[in-house]
Amino acid sequence: MDALLKPSLYTPAATLLGGRCACGHVFYPMQTHGCEVCGRHGGDLQPMTLSGRGTLLSSTVVHLHADKARPAPFSIGKIALEEGPVVRTLLVDPAPSIAPGTAMKATLVPVEDGKRDLRFAPER
Amino acid sequence: MARTLKDLRPVYIVGIGWHPYQNPGPTPYVTLGVTAIRAALADAAIEWPAVESAYVATALLGMAVGRPMLRHLGATGLPIAHIENASASGSTAFRQACIEVASGISDVALAVGVDKRNPVRRESTGIDALAEDAIAQFTHFSLLTNEYAHRHGVSFEDIARVAVKNHRNGAKNRNAQRQKERTLDEVLGGKRVAGSLTALQCTPVGEGAAAAIVASEDGIRRLGLDASRAIRVAGSTARSERVYPAGQGFDAVLTKETAGLALQEAQISARDLDIIELHDAFTVEELHYIENIGLCPEGQGVHLLKEGALEIGGRCAVNPSGGLIAMGHPIGPTGVGQIGEIVLQLRGEAGARQHRGARTGLAHMVGVGAVCYIHLLQKA
Ligand SMILES: [Zn+2]
Repeated sequence: MDALLKPSLYTPAATLLGGRCACGHVFYPMQTHGCEVCGRHGGDLQPMTLSGRGTLLSSTVVHLHADKARPAPFSIGKIALEEGPVVRTLLVDPAPSIAPGTAMKATLVPVEDGKRDLRFAPER
Repeated sequence: MARTLKDLRPVYIVGIGWHPYQNPGPTPYVTLGVTAIRAALADAAIEWPAVESAYVATALLGMAVGRPMLRHLGATGLPIAHIENASASGSTAFRQACIEVASGISDVALAVGVDKRNPVRRESTGIDALAEDAIAQFTHFSLLTNEYAHRHGVSFEDIARVAVKNHRNGAKNRNAQRQKERTLDEVLGGKRVAGSLTALQCTPVGEGAAAAIVASEDGIRRLGLDASRAIRVAGSTARSERVYPAGQGFDAVLTKETAGLALQEAQISARDLDIIELHDAFTVEELHYIENIGLCPEGQGVHLLKEGALEIGGRCAVNPSGGLIAMGHPIGPTGVGQIGEIVLQLRGEAGARQHRGARTGLAHMVGVGAVCYIHLLQKA
């Protein structure tokens, strides 16, 4: 199986490595700097695996991008994960126009250097 | 918040000035900055030694660039502080200058914004992100445009009309980076950057400078300034992003909270506003912000736009300077320049851009982070 591009952020099963604070706030990605809601830190913040399922809030096709390592066009989506956090990231290309409210699911796609990276696509 | 600005000594804007905003070029930032400050000093009819304190707003020039600029006005030994707060740098410098005068520590203070287009550097927080590198500012606002259009059943063409209005205003402003009227077809037909967003619906980041001098009543009397041209700072508020429910972006909520506090401080309602200068780096922002400042209910901004209510001469002139889309957005100067435009309007000195009978104006700025600043200005 190919290595993951960002193994600190997601798993080979395309689930997301998030966290949960003792106060109940769920966040992504995992960190121990401190909770944005209550300020608890360290051991009060525990890893929590997020399903990678969510609802599309908005998407767009980027026509122009300064970074040559990321050639346009590509699609970006804003997804409310079912556990609460909102993520903005790449959609599986080519992404036709997807209506807000569409159920989305994370998946892994091959990228450079034989690695795999996370994308979202409409759930089938 | 123990006290608001309104509870302290009254603060007045007595001088404003610019170096025109322009495309990036070889002009040294020192030339940009001192040009704006000298214009503000001349406008106030005071000499540099009368300025007791300086706040220098800049986001892209690097460390401690203020003294090497200000020394060319005469090294009076005044205290200098540098303010970096992304797009809101200038607004923040202005607020700090107002607070200093309101507190009684100084009678006359300067806020100057100066910048040139340089790469943005932000240290890593140590927390990785999925693909933040793929999300430019215009991509963030393209997502917001699509969300707004979908939620309120508004067309992309109608959202683009914001740019037509602001280019029209900018065409009458000799300090604007873009001084050309554009038709809706021209705006829509330009280069697409993300989604429906075209280049003429996005701010052109350039370079320039803007300066504002604020004074107390003691300062105005002592220096013999023309009190009839002084404009009162009737409210100043600042807030930063909190945690909102999923799907509720900071873009709208943060402006609503900050503007609400400012209107409360000045004891006026959004209906009293004659002028608004707001952060229209991208067309959809203008609609979001007028709705959250309270000009109309959410989703109704396009109606006001199409009936001409936001034009110079309409119900409330929004971005009569041309806004960030036409006047430009050199970052550090932008928030100070908004104050200058409102002062011109309230004094009745805005020439071809004059909104007749303007008495109350609001300046709105948001910055990456996210932060929001609101200032309310009133004719004395
Ligand atoms: Zn917490």
